[in-house]
Amino acid sequence: MVDKSILLDNKKFTVGIFDDSDKLLHAVNTLKEKGVKIFDCYTPFPVHHLDHALGYHRTNLTIGAFLCGLLGCLSGFTLAYYMNVVDWPMIIGGKPQDISVFTSFIPVMFELTILFTAFGMVIMFFARSRMIHGIKEDLLSRRQTDDHMVLAIDNDQDQSLSNKDILELLRKEGAIEVNDSKEAFNTSLTSEEELTKILKSTKTSTKKTKKK
Amino acid sequence: MYTADIRQPLVTGGKTYSDVTKDVCRPIENKPTSSWWLGFSIAVILLLVLAGTLAWTVWEGIGTWNVNKSVMWGWDITNFVFWVGIGHAGTLISAILLLFRQKWRMAINRSAEAMTIFAVFCAAIFPLFHMGRVWLGYWPLPLPNAFGSLWVNFNSPLLWDVFAISTYLSVSLVFWYLGLIPDIATVRDRATTKARKFWYGFFAMGWNGSAKSWGRYEVVALILAGISTPLVLSVHTIVSMDFATSVIPGWHTTIFPPYFVAGAIFSGFGMVLTLLLIARYVMNYQDYITTEHLEAMTKVILLTGSIVGLAYITEFVIAAYSGYEYEQYAFANRMFGPYAWAYWTMMFCNLMAPQVFWSKWARNTPWFIFIISIIVNIGMWFERFVIIVTSLHRDFLPSSWVMYHATWVEVGIFLGTFGLFFTCFFMFAKFLPVINMAEVKTIIKDKE
Repeated sequence: MVDKSILLDNKKFTVGIFDDSDKLLHAVNTLKEKGVKIFDCYTPFPVHHLDHALGYHRTNLTIGAFLCGLLGCLSGFTLAYYMNVVDWPMIIGGKPQDISVFTSFIPVMFELTILFTAFGMVIMFFARSRMIHGIKEDLLSRRQTDDHMVLAIDNDQDQSLSNKDILELLRKEGAIEVNDSKEAFNTSLTSEEELTKILKSTKTSTKKTKKK
Repeated sequence: MYTADIRQPLVTGGKTYSDVTKDVCRPIENKPTSSWWLGFSIAVILLLVLAGTLAWTVWEGIGTWNVNKSVMWGWDITNFVFWVGIGHAGTLISAILLLFRQKWRMAINRSAEAMTIFAVFCAAIFPLFHMGRVWLGYWPLPLPNAFGSLWVNFNSPLLWDVFAISTYLSVSLVFWYLGLIPDIATVRDRATTKARKFWYGFFAMGWNGSAKSWGRYEVVALILAGISTPLVLSVHTIVSMDFATSVIPGWHTTIFPPYFVAGAIFSGFGMVLTLLLIARYVMNYQDYITTEHLEAMTKVILLTGSIVGLAYITEFVIAAYSGYEYEQYAFANRMFGPYAWAYWTMMFCNLMAPQVFWSKWARNTPWFIFIISIIVNIGMWFERFVIIVTSLHRDFLPSSWVMYHATWVEVGIFLGTFGLFFTCFFMFAKFLPVINMAEVKTIIKDKE
């Protein structure tokens, strides 16, 4: 197993856990307005407008995908042209075997365009998102892939508000759980006993908000 | 958020996010049910039939099949086109319906994509074994070889097919896997056993649902859908060119590409309906695969079935109008010749049977849809049989006219591919989330 984390190791986070995507989005907008720098959010499903709210730009993967497609198209042409025209023209029935048969190269060029685009883009996506088989996942809540949404703030970053104010704000925004020193953990390489220990030890500093 | 009150909710039963997770993970986290074991055992028995008949074909030779010099493509290529056609619904549902923003696709796209991949596996068996020497199956690839500089022929539609099908399989696999990653991560984080933690952790690739990743993920999914759409259309177009670029009466028609694509979507949806109706019943997914979903799919069946029917009639009219007696004979022979029973079975199953879906009752009654979906599957098999065998068995030279009937080996291989298909599908239903949890969670509050 690759011992490398997606988040930086031993970082501590201030987190607010939500159970509703609209509340999370509202909380992000409010924190942003107050000038708080948000590290990232973790959600079990794509929340619309969340990336805009966090100030992320649209990914440039599309440009990479286009370049891969172009490479695929050229490869298809080169393959067919070299094999059937340059290296060994198969003259069947006296028909010419030169650039005039270009149209029969189109299907192969097309298929390779798609193949290169798909694979190129997905590989770039994995690389960009630091995803590879065997990498440790960094979770801040065990239910962030189930039904909880996590808003994470890096404790090392200078913030415009004090930590206490941030926690207060998160609670006000409807977080069901807040925590000011959460460390990342993983589920795939941690045994169930250790995991319960980790989750319990962080629970102590948690204050539950009163339900309205 | 805008909701159209005229529509029914996409997920019924007032499910919460965690209900979705629990419902979808239940088969993965519990021991298989007895109905699963029953289905799986039957599938494995058929898979053994496949192994046996293929081994016999390789051991004894292609002579165990009844294909001959006139009907050189018999059940094998019929089955090949049949399975490739079935493999079209998955990517159609996840790609084209994504581009059209049809949210009802979300509950069914996962299983439809899985079906695509397994169907292409089944399809690939036939041309490979029809070559006779299956161990030389790599020859259609453009590899440098020991026979001088003799390369593959890029003017041949059969070679285009090699590229099209292998691209289709690889891209569908990537699309499917990409969609699975967030859900595998969900299973990983719920896992309590060591093995499950390890394997789902391995395949989840460290996914943690970060907003940054989701942003990229959605763009990648959209582009993949965008490029998969022409890919789906190209694959069956190229399959149809295997026939259309020849000079055989009955094959040599320009209508083939759109007609084959419509037929592929038609048969694919037929198979998706068959599978989903079983899965919905066995796994209790009525709240996710609602009658709304079934209704939407039956409408696609109705549309594509009518397109296919129109193509049958157009083909016939064009042949009659062509003034070309061989073409005219080929079509008259289809309708009234020795294989007329196959032709009329096809006409009944594909053109007439789906017309019942004009009725709202038919579109909303699961058991009835199930019967029609089986009829569609049968009809589409016969379509390929009619196109291939009736066009070949009486060619230009009456002295080479023959009749063709399959041997038990050919029938065994065909039944065996169902074994392969269903073995894969049962394994999929046991080990992977059958419904796309992440996507369904985005629509549980929606109506569309």
